[in-house]
Amino acid sequence: MKFKTLLGLLAVGLSLSVSAQTWPAKPVRLVVPFPAGGATDILSRALSQELAKKLGQSIVVDNKPGAGGTIGALAGAQAAPDGYTLLLTTSSTHSIGPAINPRMPYNAEADFTPIVYVASSPQVILVPMTSPAKNLREFIDYARKNPGRLNYASSGNGTISNLSTENFKAQSGTFLVHIPYRGTGLSIADLISGKVDVLFDSVVSGMPHVRDGKLRALAVTSPKRSALAPELPAVSELLPGFESVTWFGVYGPRGLPPEIVARVNQAVNAALAEPDLKERFARLGAETTGGTPQAFAAVVKAESVKWKKVITERKITAD
Amino acid sequence: MEFELFNNLALGFGVAFTFQNLLYAFIGCLLGTLIGVLPGVGPVATIAMLLPATYALPPVAALIMLGGIYYGAQYGGSTTAILVNLPGESSSVVTVIDGYQMARKGRAGPALAAAGMGSFFAGCVGTLILAAFAAPLTEVAFKFGPAEYFSLMVLGLIGAVVLASGSLLKAVAMIILGLLLGLVGTDVNSGVARYSFDIPELTDGIGFIVIAMGVFGYGEIIANLSHPEDKREVFTSNITHIYPSKEDFKRMVPAVLRGTALGSMLGILPGGGALLSAFAAYSIEKKTKLKPGEVPFGQGNIRGVAAPEAANNAGAQTSFIPLLTLGIPPNPVMALMVGAMTIHNIQPGPQVMTSNPELFWGLIASMWIGNLMLIVLNLPLIGIWIKLLSVPYRWLFPAIVLFCAVGVYSTNNNTWDVWMVAMFGVIGYGFIKLGVEPAPLLLGLILGPMMEENLRRALLLSRGDWSVLVTRPLSAGLLAAALLLLIIVTLPSIKSKREEAFVED
Repeated sequence: MKFKTLLGLLAVGLSLSVSAQTWPAKPVRLVVPFPAGGATDILSRALSQELAKKLGQSIVVDNKPGAGGTIGALAGAQAAPDGYTLLLTTSSTHSIGPAINPRMPYNAEADFTPIVYVASSPQVILVPMTSPAKNLREFIDYARKNPGRLNYASSGNGTISNLSTENFKAQSGTFLVHIPYRGTGLSIADLISGKVDVLFDSVVSGMPHVRDGKLRALAVTSPKRSALAPELPAVSELLPGFESVTWFGVYGPRGLPPEIVARVNQAVNAALAEPDLKERFARLGAETTGGTPQAFAAVVKAESVKWKKVITERKITAD
Repeated sequence: MEFELFNNLALGFGVAFTFQNLLYAFIGCLLGTLIGVLPGVGPVATIAMLLPATYALPPVAALIMLGGIYYGAQYGGSTTAILVNLPGESSSVVTVIDGYQMARKGRAGPALAAAGMGSFFAGCVGTLILAAFAAPLTEVAFKFGPAEYFSLMVLGLIGAVVLASGSLLKAVAMIILGLLLGLVGTDVNSGVARYSFDIPELTDGIGFIVIAMGVFGYGEIIANLSHPEDKREVFTSNITHIYPSKEDFKRMVPAVLRGTALGSMLGILPGGGALLSAFAAYSIEKKTKLKPGEVPFGQGNIRGVAAPEAANNAGAQTSFIPLLTLGIPPNPVMALMVGAMTIHNIQPGPQVMTSNPELFWGLIASMWIGNLMLIVLNLPLIGIWIKLLSVPYRWLFPAIVLFCAVGVYSTNNNTWDVWMVAMFGVIGYGFIKLGVEPAPLLLGLILGPMMEENLRRALLLSRGDWSVLVTRPLSAGLLAAALLLLIIVTLPSIKSKREEAFVED
């Protein structure tokens, strides 16, 4: 064991001395801690195609799903900091997970090097067509008049749709009963038939039902109106400061050389500027973001603080 | 309505019947079959492996090729279920019961042909139902709320007792063991990880594939190796005929019809409907009277292969209805297909039919073509698959062990799952020694968590009032059916007959 570690360190040391100038000299592995075919996977594959062109080296997407992303994120943290293993992950492993689960196998801040903020994805507030509420104002009034009678669906305890609704309840002074589902698929069927009264769902899975006339969308949870559903008002127009988005970002393991961080950051920003990629992200319900590593770190920090507050105040636990 | 149906189908076939698309369908079927037939590599692993190969194709061609891969992999999975006792996915667990016994008796050929032809027929019917009734049938799914799903699962679980051919007590014990194993993992209501012992991998629960491969595949291998070499040969070498006899056909046809009807109905329900259909079809066959001279169930009855395979395939077709109208993938394979569609800029959901008609109907037509391609490809191949059985066991078993490990690893890219298969292999060997059948365990494992979730959801919605389960007519009806089934199973006269009929040799 010890010998292996020593060898590993030696190998890392050797590769570091040359890697910074010549990187990338071989294909780069992009760990995605979610299963193939999911939104994060598809987004990563779209990004990696463009990124490969910018870096002149192929990017291999490596899906490592499990435990809500924890397993893949841990693999990203434990990789050698030589730039050949990067991690593309979301709020759930780095903002929400650490806030709700005291026993994470990694430290979301100390064990990683933030590289770039890739995209953000808001939610839409959906109600059945039979709902008396035609807009968000009416929904809040309706919910206030019927405290504890309305049900809200979520994709499970501790997921962003759960936290987002709890935050909404706190800010709007309403009381809705939580009905957790495993993912949003079945919850949409129960929402359409009116068995539950409201659902905060991603734009990409919710909006097709709205456009088909089966559900009514009341608002979007991005801080301002979103280009993804421009007809919808932002929740913040009624509840100032309300914001709930899933972020996607690229990390390296702790101790990634600053030259490599800068190269990846530059290349991802260049890739995100491509109109084609913007469009592909939009189809996944995500808006491209980009920016410096410092800006990314600040976003994650702010998000973590926000969700931690919601989790403590609403007494949400996973233990 | 009908006019529209033909128009739509014509549009679909117009898209699918180009030389290029037929070629992709063929390549997909071939690749899917070749990889899916590797023992231990089920449809999920096959599609996950081949998915990137379709990224570069134009959307319609990619979906057609994926459809081919899907059918190929599924049929390949049934092939390994029959030949080497390895169910590649949950729905082929029941195929194993009689299929493997048929193979052991030198009737692997008829079993494979029954599976192929049953699937083809069911696929055709399912495709027609899908094309004609997709929109109105969605309403059925809306009638099913948490209470109804719970009651349906209760019915399924009681049906599981019928699956076992040994003693009733052992069957119930295995169901309960399955329910207990199903408790492992994160509770959806509270987010608490149950029985995870702080191992992150266990917070997702124990995968079905892991248990199925371990208990069925590895367990059987250990049991075989425990015999001295000369006694180890599991398959009789005198294979009488490769294709089903006239007698076989006479028994198969009604079973296929019943399986198709059942699969088409249950497939419409999102969240487990298609999966239950194979189990339900087998239970029904087992409850119908044996004709004189017919082999008992659990010992290689061809109806026990034909009915669940037909139900499974019909269910797979009609489960496209909730997928396309609600965007709900009914099983892991379909979830991968959704991902593939998204990559090609198709958002599964209610709008596909109207916004992308040539793609939607092209897909439906290509499903049928995939089914046809499969039977054309596989009927001649049956002879070759059977030849595989004459490979000496000392070569065959390391290959099975290796491919299982590869297949399990490739679904999650995690070695943890491989160790779990090894562990369940030992447990499976224990089951063989104790003379208990593992099929009810797997049903308990699958249904347990869904039952719990739906019950708790129903009670949350009713604010703790248990009467919802009986005041909603559909739910009450399903529970009444479950009660009836329970009475039939426990009635002393029938019970004694049951034991007489299904006593193990």
